[in-house]
Amino acid sequence: MRKLLLIPAVLMLSSCTVIDAYLMTHYDPNEYNNITVIRADAGQFKTKCDDAVASRANAERIAYETNAFKLYSENIPKNDDNYKAATSLNEIAQGLVERYNKGDPVSPVFCKLKFGAIENSAGLMQHVIGNRPR
Amino acid sequence: MNLDEINQRLATMASGHDAAFANAAQFVQQVVQQVQTNAMSPAEAGETLKDIQRQMDIIQDEQQLAFKEELNTIINGLINLAGLV
Repeated sequence: MRKLLLIPAVLMLSSCTVIDAYLMTHYDPNEYNNITVIRADAGQFKTKCDDAVASRANAERIAYETNAFKLYSENIPKNDDNYKAATSLNEIAQGLVERYNKGDPVSPVFCKLKFGAIENSAGLMQHVIGNRPR
Repeated sequence: MNLDEINQRLATMASGHDAAFANAAQFVQQVVQQVQTNAMSPAEAGETLKDIQRQMDIIQDEQQLAFKEELNTIINGLINLAGLV
């Protein structure tokens, strides 16, 4: 009986939503690997923020990784939500590189907050990407 | 509005009943304190606050995706139930 009640519940949603969900992008191991690397690196780089030289190189590395992830997501069909999230993640990373490129001193607190924001967001994205239908 | 007034307003928000707003207000309060103690420049604080908005956008996008994943599971369950595939 409960199962039968599910049918009208699903039909109440707009047909576009149902079609979008049914045809959604399936699990992609490359996408999952990319976001895992970003999360792991951000977590590691966060601990090196007291070393300004290493941090600058780390900032460039994470900006490259998040940009590559954004570009990888861009042309996957039915992947708009994840592409938008990947773009925001890349903006967070680019903000750190820009600070270093401007030549202004970058405080360790700011560096830790940046890598922390990337790590947390990548963790959330990894969870959702991992739950994609197989 | 000066930093003291901002701090006062944030303290009011941080003691509010809405947990999400209270957490966000506490974080912003910490950022303002970092600026006051010169641990962070005002430009860095501004960028950090922009990052909060970016993180909120990521949460929203991922919630949409998670909803579709849940719906996909339900639809496939219904299809299997009906023996359509």
